[in-house]
Amino acid sequence: MATYDGFEYDVVIVGSGAGGGMSAHILTEAGIRVLMLEAGRDYDPVEETPMFNENHEAPLRGVSTSDKDFGYYDATVDGGWTVPGEPYTTGEGTEFLWWRARMLGGRTNHFGRYVPRFNDRDFKPFSHDGLGVDWPLDYEEVQPWYDKCEKLVGVSGNNPGIYDVPDSGEGVLQPHAQPRVYELLVEAACQKLGLPIVPMRRAVLTRAIDTREACFNATHCGRGCSIGAAFQTTTSVIPWAKDTGNLKVVTDAMVKEVHLDDNGRASGVTFVNRKTREDVRVDAGIVILAASACETARLMLNSKSERFPNGIANSSGQVGRNLMDSTGADISGHIPALRGRPRYNEDGLAGNHLYIPWWDYEGQDNGSVNFKRGYHLEIGGGFGEPEIGLGSYADGYGVAAKQMVRDYYGSNIGFALRGEMVVNDNCYCEIDPDVKDKWGIPVLKFHWKWSDEELNQVAHGLEWGEKLINAMGGYVTSPKRTPEEAILAGGQIIHEVGTTRMGDDPATSVTNKWGQTWDVDNLYIMDGGIFASNPHKNCTITILTLAMKNSTRLASQIKGEAS
Amino acid sequence: MSAKYVSKINRRDSLKWLGSMTSVVVIGGVVVACDAPETPMPDVKEGSHWPDLTFEPITGPKYGQDPDLLNPTTPWPKTLTQEQLNLVAHLSDIICPEDEGGPSATAVGVPDVIDEWISAPYADQQNDRVLILNGLQWLDDEASRRFGNTFMNISEAEQFQIIDDIAYEAQMEVAEFEHAAIFFDKLRTLVLGGYFTSPQGMRDIGYMGNVPIIGDYPGPTDEAKTHLEQVIANLP
Repeated sequence: MATYDGFEYDVVIVGSGAGGGMSAHILTEAGIRVLMLEAGRDYDPVEETPMFNENHEAPLRGVSTSDKDFGYYDATVDGGWTVPGEPYTTGEGTEFLWWRARMLGGRTNHFGRYVPRFNDRDFKPFSHDGLGVDWPLDYEEVQPWYDKCEKLVGVSGNNPGIYDVPDSGEGVLQPHAQPRVYELLVEAACQKLGLPIVPMRRAVLTRAIDTREACFNATHCGRGCSIGAAFQTTTSVIPWAKDTGNLKVVTDAMVKEVHLDDNGRASGVTFVNRKTREDVRVDAGIVILAASACETARLMLNSKSERFPNGIANSSGQVGRNLMDSTGADISGHIPALRGRPRYNEDGLAGNHLYIPWWDYEGQDNGSVNFKRGYHLEIGGGFGEPEIGLGSYADGYGVAAKQMVRDYYGSNIGFALRGEMVVNDNCYCEIDPDVKDKWGIPVLKFHWKWSDEELNQVAHGLEWGEKLINAMGGYVTSPKRTPEEAILAGGQIIHEVGTTRMGDDPATSVTNKWGQTWDVDNLYIMDGGIFASNPHKNCTITILTLAMKNSTRLASQIKGEAS
Repeated sequence: MSAKYVSKINRRDSLKWLGSMTSVVVIGGVVVACDAPETPMPDVKEGSHWPDLTFEPITGPKYGQDPDLLNPTTPWPKTLTQEQLNLVAHLSDIICPEDEGGPSATAVGVPDVIDEWISAPYADQQNDRVLILNGLQWLDDEASRRFGNTFMNISEAEQFQIIDDIAYEAQMEVAEFEHAAIFFDKLRTLVLGGYFTSPQGMRDIGYMGNVPIIGDYPGPTDEAKTHLEQVIANLP
């Protein structure tokens, strides 16, 4: 047992997002005492979420600015693409964006609550196409944990019987929300074109469970959710863990180093108290890193010792390597037949009720498509809360211009491609030898280059997006772009994973399949860094599921050792 | 965001795209329009005039990365002169007059929205400030050139002669009015956008959300379903 501020604990967890939050829940439920260190400030969605606030109440009608990159009401605190005094750098030719939140709950407070699970092929990509590496896991092993995790998180959706969307167990999913008009029109287009379209799995409750209420069909999830309907760790696993009495959370604690003892085991960490700027060293029997893929890699690379001159648990040299994001590209169109359509409330669960999963596994296998990994299309449109950009629909002036805006409202439909990239040697992060942040901690330098795999995939997605828009009798309004122009920057989809990947071989991976580092047996990683590949399916539910699975095993080991 | 594809699209396309993006682009589940391509102003063509006034950048207070989301406040001072504000108000109601659907732009405070917008210390708004203040000056210059007085002091008929030369998309291709048409397009976006985001404008456009619905989301109304069935029946 170590002690901090009068609190006795066994385990230190660095980070309070998906991985850290879930891990704290599992461990504390098992009676294990946990000290959680969060770099950002304390945050309570019950008190702080701007439910029902409208754009006209916010500065600049709530549009995005460099202070609030996703708009005024976005939940992200003290972060975004930039954090003042905490820069990151990029190598020549690299375009990379790194989203950071400095708040309890991390990025779970604002994520889209899209939670599709991986299928068997997603865990064995190398076996299917010879690219990248396989996971040291297969779907059968993870499947029951997906069920448990989805049940705990609260996921609405269905089992459509499509290979890309594996079934959840019976009784796991809550009812999904009914589609809206524009989604039903996309469905009609999909039927014409032979594409699947299914309910999006959402970490949004449609039935109340435990302390959390069902969604009341208003207020965007990106603001956070004061009633707990949209999953975030700050209204679920963290308060539950606190309720056990086994968790102490320390906020404003920016961890800068993991310490190694003479026996080669992790002995604790040092954090900077952001309020006093003092270094604080805490001991630990077990250290769990869940600071986000890149922040965890940074912390490990900065934790140098005689034994690990290149960073703790980095004998493989893989820490910071194999960085992956999802591919992203958007196409939007105008659908004249929807002009002036009958009004009704299209808020629903905010975000997608339906989406287009990946459909052409056959084409990948027989080579009729020229890329190896799939994507899905998220659908945008509808009668959203009016934004100032609506004004750009008009031409001229006067009553006629005013009427144009009314007519165009709700008549545009867009598709956002989210695809799998193939791991490549040009995408990684390392410590910049010349730059430190305001806490004196060396910062990350990112390197990024897409390969033809991603560019061909984006070209395919844009082509199908145009087909869909045309099939609805519409025309494309977004500018014609090459795949190189259309693909969003690395990091921009905020699905960074892979920097501390798991594997079967200590020479080519950082952790085993339990997230336990090969080199330091009491050092675990519970964030997206352990992903061996990055399927097109939004990563949060798999981070949560693996943290649940691996923390359950860790808990039983600790209990076993103690007894 | 990416400067490299700017040259491939014209300003009008990028504005249209930005307008539509605000309703369709979703990153991390959040609707964003953060990657508006920058569209530098074209050179002033021969036979055209443009004031090209430059301004000290606004460095006033920003709201920061952790503002009070429940009780928003705007920390920067407004900067339009009373004369400029009068002109903006006059133009706002030309662009967005009262009609059967709702009140005029000035009735819902749009000039204040524009004053707040162009006075903001953020890059996009600072660019808009240069465009709009130059555009307001251009109107006075053009009014003086054609009719020997400032815009507010010429007749309504004379005002509309000028407006009719710059108010349409197609006039961005006319060398003489290119810059003024770009200005008017931006002003129109802010005026109509400001109007339709006001409480009265939201009612006017028929936004029916942001109210709690206890129980399952009911989906489309019968009227909306019937309309959709017709749309689907008539698909190409």
